[in-house]
Amino acid sequence: MPMREGYTEEMKVSREERKIWRTNAVVTVLIMGLSTLAAQAFFHYSRNSTSVAIIYVLAVMLVARYTTGYVPGIVAAVFGVIFVNYVFTYPYMKLNFSIDGYPVTFVGMMVVSGVTSTLTTRFKKQNEMLNEREKLLMEAEKETMRANLLRAVSHDLRTPLTGIIGLANTYLDSGTKLSEEKRTEMVDSIREDANWLLNMVENLLSVTKLQVGAAKMNTSPEPLEEVVSEAVLRFRKRVPGTMVTVHVPDEFLMVPMDAMLIEQVIMNLLENAAYHSGTDRPIDLYVEREADQVVFHVRDYGKGIEPGRLKTIFDGSGSDENASGDAHKGMGIGLTICKTIITAHQGTIQARNRDQGAEFLFTLPMKGKDDHDE
Amino acid sequence: MTNKQTILIIEDEKNIGNYMETIVVAKEYKALRATNGLSGLSMCTSYHPDLILLDLGLPDIDGMDVLKQIRSFSRIPVIVVSARTQEKEKVLALDNGADDYITKPFGSEELLARIRTALRHRSQVSDAAPEQQIYSRDGLVIDFDRRLVTLNGQDIHLTQIEYKLVSLLAKNAGRVLTYDYILKDIWGPFADTDNQILRVNMANIRRKLEKNPAEPYYIFTEIGVGYRMKE
Repeated sequence: MPMREGYTEEMKVSREERKIWRTNAVVTVLIMGLSTLAAQAFFHYSRNSTSVAIIYVLAVMLVARYTTGYVPGIVAAVFGVIFVNYVFTYPYMKLNFSIDGYPVTFVGMMVVSGVTSTLTTRFKKQNEMLNEREKLLMEAEKETMRANLLRAVSHDLRTPLTGIIGLANTYLDSGTKLSEEKRTEMVDSIREDANWLLNMVENLLSVTKLQVGAAKMNTSPEPLEEVVSEAVLRFRKRVPGTMVTVHVPDEFLMVPMDAMLIEQVIMNLLENAAYHSGTDRPIDLYVEREADQVVFHVRDYGKGIEPGRLKTIFDGSGSDENASGDAHKGMGIGLTICKTIITAHQGTIQARNRDQGAEFLFTLPMKGKDDHDE
Repeated sequence: MTNKQTILIIEDEKNIGNYMETIVVAKEYKALRATNGLSGLSMCTSYHPDLILLDLGLPDIDGMDVLKQIRSFSRIPVIVVSARTQEKEKVLALDNGADDYITKPFGSEELLARIRTALRHRSQVSDAAPEQQIYSRDGLVIDFDRRLVTLNGQDIHLTQIEYKLVSLLAKNAGRVLTYDYILKDIWGPFADTDNQILRVNMANIRRKLEKNPAEPYYIFTEIGVGYRMKE
């Protein structure tokens, strides 16, 4: 019912207004009360009404700064003017607007309040606008990433599927016409493509997991060494024959994380090194503690990363250009997912070239943001 | 007549069922197939298989319910087959009496190893065979009678709790034990459900037994589920 909705909307607005009103009133009364006390004490010792006026000017400024809108500042200014006149200037406890220079004080306080409230209001509005824009930008970035992923997925899932279906058909149709060697080769290709698909699907699952829990990451403190060892074990099962040397700190470390997702990151980086380094030399995986974070390094001793790609390597945008020359296309998606996962953990990830080979490193903070101490 | 052990495969997906059947038949087991939970249950009562491979995603009833019903009348070994989605599901299956689980996709070696382990542990229980006295794998020897642990001939000094942990895992070698199961067994039924203390102890054990804690050789971690000792 639109009528009803409009009604409740209005109610909500008025409730919010009332809330602002209330805080305004409380702040104004508090500041004016405190400054009156201060003025009282000051006046008691010095009998100097100019200083008292200054105290009230300051109070008016503070009121204008810490309230919303123009009204409280003006009210405070009027109150201040009258109060200074009534209590702190001769004749005491009497209003007398004919004192010399009185209009100057009055106008001065009015201007101070007006200017301060205008400035604060504008400042607040600008801040709000900035926040809004930032939110929009973040949304846009998320949207681009999602679009990139979807595009890459629809493009990259079809390729291995075509291979699998085609090879299986050929295998069945060919009967015994093909040599045994050729047939083994075909089944081997099927296996390779299927493995690749599995990898892709697991990465996609990670992403959905991230999006479902977008509001809050489901992290719990996990022993670092257990996560690393399980990831390596799974990697070895997936890519047998690739050597990895692993090293973790001797110290027993519990790091807040979603273990499955971090394992996915480690596996993606290892696989990336295995397929793209162009070498059989062992991959180094080591973890170090640095102050309040842990740093994971994945190093290979291969041909390194093209300098032009370093910047965009986590964006997933480069997957089209290199698709032609690369046997394992779509690793770009794996890296994009790594970045998404690490960012969600409030960590950082980067890639760089070393004297020989490439290095990927990512960090995880030792303490979660909303972690209660246990 | 050879006395083949029978394995009941409860799986609705035809291809996966064929795959599992091929694997077990090649290893001289006899295979039975059921494509839904109800027929699986009735086949379980009428054929008394030696082991059940149970898929959790069945068309008619939840695989978890099938497991509970089987457990209500039989101690037959059940290996749960699940797609890798949630650790919680695995833990729930193990806590509901499953002997082990295996995650899709799995290789033939992996499946056969799980089957062997489950059958062996079951025969130990049912035959009331004298419990194994010694666990010995690749240099690690645990003498349960003398409460002695040696690695390549060297004495390993474990604390009481650490020894209890290692021997519990060793007696169940090849099987995954859940955090809950281990906690209850070692710290008693009123143990804190927080598994931190367990994981700290495991870290200490790893530093005493393993060459590289990041590449364990004897005790493997299944994060979110529990630990498994090398068979």
